[in-house]
Amino acid sequence: MSTIASALMLIGAFAYVFYPAHLVETQKVKSWLEFLRERREVLYDNLRDLNFEYRAGKYPEEDYVAQRATLENEAATVVAEIHDLEDAKSP
Amino acid sequence: MPAFGSFALLLALALCAYNLCAGAVALRQLSTESGGRISPERLLETARRAGIASFFIVSGAAFALVWAAFANDFSVAYILHHSNRALPGAYKFAALWSGQEGSLLLWAWLLAAYEFVLRVRHKVDVRLTAYASMILSGIQVFFLLLLNFAAPPFALVAGAIPQDGFGLNPLLQYPEMVIHPPMLYLGYVGFSVPFAFALGALMMRYPGEKWIHITRRWTMVTWLFLTCGIFLGMHWAYAVLGWGGYWGWDPVENASLMPWLTGTAFLHSVMMQEKRGMMKHWNIWLIFSTFMLSILGTLLTRSGLVSSVHAFAQSSIGTWFWAFLVLVFAVCLFTYILQRDHLKSEHKLESLVSRESSFLFNNLVLLTACFTILWGTLFPVLSEFVQGNKVTVGAPFYNRVAIPIGLFLLFLTGIGPLLAWRSSSFRSIRKNFIVPMAAAGLTALVLVILGERPWQDQGAFYALVTWVLAAFVATAVGSEFLRGAGVIRRHTGQNLLASMVQLTRRNTRRYGGYLVHFGVVVIFIGFAGSAFNQSKEQEMNFRQSMTIGPYRLECLDYSQDSNLNYDSEYALLDVYRGSRKVMQLAPEKRFYAASQQTSTIVANHSTLAWDLYVVYAGRDPDSQHPIIKVFLNPLVAWIWIGVGIVAFGTCVALMPNMAAEFALNRSRVPAALSGLAQSAISSRGGD
Repeated sequence: MSTIASALMLIGAFAYVFYPAHLVETQKVKSWLEFLRERREVLYDNLRDLNFEYRAGKYPEEDYVAQRATLENEAATVVAEIHDLEDAKSP
Repeated sequence: MPAFGSFALLLALALCAYNLCAGAVALRQLSTESGGRISPERLLETARRAGIASFFIVSGAAFALVWAAFANDFSVAYILHHSNRALPGAYKFAALWSGQEGSLLLWAWLLAAYEFVLRVRHKVDVRLTAYASMILSGIQVFFLLLLNFAAPPFALVAGAIPQDGFGLNPLLQYPEMVIHPPMLYLGYVGFSVPFAFALGALMMRYPGEKWIHITRRWTMVTWLFLTCGIFLGMHWAYAVLGWGGYWGWDPVENASLMPWLTGTAFLHSVMMQEKRGMMKHWNIWLIFSTFMLSILGTLLTRSGLVSSVHAFAQSSIGTWFWAFLVLVFAVCLFTYILQRDHLKSEHKLESLVSRESSFLFNNLVLLTACFTILWGTLFPVLSEFVQGNKVTVGAPFYNRVAIPIGLFLLFLTGIGPLLAWRSSSFRSIRKNFIVPMAAAGLTALVLVILGERPWQDQGAFYALVTWVLAAFVATAVGSEFLRGAGVIRRHTGQNLLASMVQLTRRNTRRYGGYLVHFGVVVIFIGFAGSAFNQSKEQEMNFRQSMTIGPYRLECLDYSQDSNLNYDSEYALLDVYRGSRKVMQLAPEKRFYAASQQTSTIVANHSTLAWDLYVVYAGRDPDSQHPIIKVFLNPLVAWIWIGVGIVAFGTCVALMPNMAAEFALNRSRVPAALSGLAQSAISSRGGD
């Protein structure tokens, strides 16, 4: 009984592993542009968090303005770089 | 069945080794853009399928062992030593992890299950998952090598097969033991996944922090399992060992706490990497350390390296584990040295008064605690190596260090959410801290008025500090909810409770995290109660009574009983509060014939204020009257309630966010930003 079960398991595993795959998943290497788009989303999230915390009364006005300016500058740089790369890619 | 199980383990080893080798070759070909006779993508697919198949095959081996336990197949040495015919079914199932070979099989099966999920969900990032899968296979190969050659669970008994087994260790015959070890192992094993992703991301120089996003849920689920495992262990120790406490700084308890500490540090500091691209070197080493500490934990539990009441299975597999640890460290160090330039931080710490610095302090404190515990745990081994005699470090050492560290951590739990990212101004600090500070001050005042005397002894002092900090943190967490809910209420007109629910659903990670912090506060309140523990021991004849706190215990009867599995002695005690009978308790001592061992069954009456914890300590050899030991342990129930809140908060944090009704549209540039972006674009264009 054990021998039959073991043999079936061996044949099943071999067939499953080496049965030719019709569709193989491929993936191109992640580009710098994709990385920048991810970064942009993170910065937008940070801006949304900051806005929400300010509306919740957590930060004084001057702190909020300074923080927002820093985050916006950072996001603007990333957005600009994304635009540059997208322009360079388009024909 | 034993033959089938042994063959399954051998086949699983072959499949995992194939996954490791084929995966490594294919990934090498992909990274160097070279090709072989088979395309690297096809080779990777066969490796993935081998990994998936290995899960079903390791499951088959685990099933074979459980089957052998239920079939009372005492030809299998493991079943002979960890089961017997009279053992109840649930404990026969638990026999799978009650000994060394079985628990290693559990490790391998859980790892195979995690790998299975990861490989099925490989489309999330095919290349990164392939790296992680290869690394996980490397870990699995180690455990399957152990199971095939060093600690085989299907080894057969030499000579005549006994009619009955030696039974399960009585300490393990307790309902929680059916779930505590799997929970703990789910935690230990689970850290392999974020470890594999981190190492894989470093190997392939993965751009960005998406790997953190992919592994976030894995890490949180793993952390939750480990947390529940640790607290179930505490509850088991409290309910079964009969010494009146729940944490004894035993090496095996410490072994589970160390990866929990570094894992907790990782969960916090990884947010800085996600949000600000900081602390990349630190995070990589935190997750490396967490995984290595998980392996060390398994080593301590299983190798007999240190003596412990929990180290049920002691053997010589320590050498294998040490070799594996050294190999893992070497691979991590080599990869780090090779790719460290990839881990450049995008920002620097701008201010010491910021959320980043509070995370950093939190990390430093957690790591200090971890190092202290590691030092204390390994000190007997080190002292024996250096001096030739084993010097054991006891609970006073750990308490002296761990209590102040724990209190500082509790304090940081409160201040972190109140500080802003980057830097906090004095005005902001004053604005956010005033209410929590007032709550803390008021709590101190009320406690002193109620009779707390912190100057009388150290325990009372620490208890007061804990409760004051608990008030501070709870108020800080509460104010975060109230402020956020206020904004929602202004926009939607909902009531406060509905606004809080919506707030939590909008940002489950943050507010789930705050719920976890609140759970930690409740746990600390419970811990502080131990400063006021009381205990009494007395020989009790019929109708004799003893008093502890507000309770009077009267001995109604004492007797003996027996069944197929064990013989027992017990006492029946009526418990009175004033003149009113509150309940009847029956503490018990059991003797298990199969294993020739005894165990204590504690009778515990738990309320929010205290636990009345009664132990049958034996019989007086002269009078034959039972000796009863009673503990009155304040606030213990708060610990278990706190763990429930922590688990609930973690589950909330695991849920996906609800779309915010008034959040900025994620797919476009925020309005305020578009002008700046345009000016940045034009200024760059002019360069």
